[in-house]
Amino acid sequence: MFELFSEMWSFAFMRRAFVATTVLSASVAPVGAFLVLRRLSLAGEAMAHAITPGIVIGFVTAGLSVMSLLVGGLIAGIGVAILTALLARKTILRSDASLASLYLIALAAGIFILSAAGSAVPLKSFLFGSILGIDDASMLLVGAVATVTLVSFAALLRPLVVSTCDPVFFEAQTKRPWLIEQAFMLLLVLNLLAAFKTLGTLMAVGLMILPATSARYWSSTITGQLLLGFFFALTSCWIGLTLSYLLPETPSGPAIVLTTGGFFAISALLGPLGFGGRLRKPSHQTSSSIAQTSTEKRPQ
Amino acid sequence: MAPVLEVRNLALGFKNLTLFRGLSMDVECGATLAVLGANGTGKSTFVKTLLGLNKPLAGKLTWTGQTRREVGYLAQLTEFDRRFPIRVRELAAMGAWQSLGLRGKLNAKNKQRVESALAATGVLDIADQSIHTLSGGQLQRTLFARVIMQDAQLILLDEPFAAVDQSTEAHLLSIIRHWRNEGRAVVLVVHDLSSVLDHCSHALLLGGEQATFGDVDTVLTPERLVAQKYLSESQASWMFRGAARQRETASV
Repeated sequence: MFELFSEMWSFAFMRRAFVATTVLSASVAPVGAFLVLRRLSLAGEAMAHAITPGIVIGFVTAGLSVMSLLVGGLIAGIGVAILTALLARKTILRSDASLASLYLIALAAGIFILSAAGSAVPLKSFLFGSILGIDDASMLLVGAVATVTLVSFAALLRPLVVSTCDPVFFEAQTKRPWLIEQAFMLLLVLNLLAAFKTLGTLMAVGLMILPATSARYWSSTITGQLLLGFFFALTSCWIGLTLSYLLPETPSGPAIVLTTGGFFAISALLGPLGFGGRLRKPSHQTSSSIAQTSTEKRPQ
Repeated sequence: MAPVLEVRNLALGFKNLTLFRGLSMDVECGATLAVLGANGTGKSTFVKTLLGLNKPLAGKLTWTGQTRREVGYLAQLTEFDRRFPIRVRELAAMGAWQSLGLRGKLNAKNKQRVESALAATGVLDIADQSIHTLSGGQLQRTLFARVIMQDAQLILLDEPFAAVDQSTEAHLLSIIRHWRNEGRAVVLVVHDLSSVLDHCSHALLLGGEQATFGDVDTVLTPERLVAQKYLSESQASWMFRGAARQRETASV
């Protein structure tokens, strides 16, 4: 085992991949946790597909540089988010149907442009990621996105928690409630772009959702959810990268996401909030104790 | 008593639909106002207007001594996420969120206030439980604790007894009485004519493109309830005959 690790560590691309995915795990864990808690898991997947044409157009026009990836992906992501909001507000379609329509068009357009341009980058690595693709610039992108994400979450955690738990209450208490949602969507797009090189467009959101859903089976607190999500994401990245190294034909994206899938299966089976436990446990408080407090007790 | 909220010539509605016009009223400190109306008469729109989430067609709302954002608010539970990973104590503490801002921490005094609010609503002994383990009544008690934490002069409760049992309703009504005694104004949106109205000093009846405000006994008469399409004539006759009979029995 030790020999395997020292052999992997001797390659610069593997060292980069391990460092990049470690930082990435810290960045995507909170985004994934709130995607799940805000019931946006499928919207996250749709957004991952929706940024494809932006990345492809950036790649075709300016090559596979971090800047082309960032600019193209951001324009596509923000464009789809705005169009989705417009369709949901001004037409009969709800936001899920609007987003589904747009991401399907965007994904098809992305793959069409990539194929028509006769790209030198294999489609497989574009869709599923490649550990060979992580250069210094990609690592800088991951580091910058992780910094922005963690600082943003530190600042916005409280409104995020309130708006997720009780959106009506949050709306009533805030001047611009939509700001939090838009900021969160921006963080989602940034993290999808940071994860693109390692995981590809189709798998990027897997590292967000599956560690978060796995953590949900174990933890009843936000802190526990965030820490466990990070642990599952990090461990999955390390195991997935090792698998991808041992089986050179295997893209890193599916290897990592399959590992997160393993954690999900274990968590669903054994976690206290999964099949192993009951969702609604009877409260310790009995009806008689409620009756006692209900008669004449007054607030302080 | 001084008014917390002054409403003048308020008209509510949408582009092609006017719900009501010409509502003028003062919500005074210590008043408990019941808002009633059939479906579609504008109860939710009125609530949103009080919260500043809806622009009236015409008229003016003037707040004294507080801003709109300082209204204590208990929403209906339709969009509340009961599976959110948060404990009873943390949910109650959410009421202090406005005063704490983005990063402020609960100090010892606020922590004590949370404990007192939980004790007052009868959920202190389940304070460390996750909210997904709570019954409907326990959750509503916790949300009342959150309203206590908001410490607002005007408290807006949107159908607070929709899914709670009798003992919980009695307990929560005792809290509303306490708020009234403290001089807070309470606006209570209710769906049914029920005993809850015994605890209200004023009523606002919406319906028939009108909004009628006044003392409960003045507003909630059979004639007016029928005129504003809250009850049919036969319903009103049956309901008020029953009430009269009860009063006669009680006096004997």
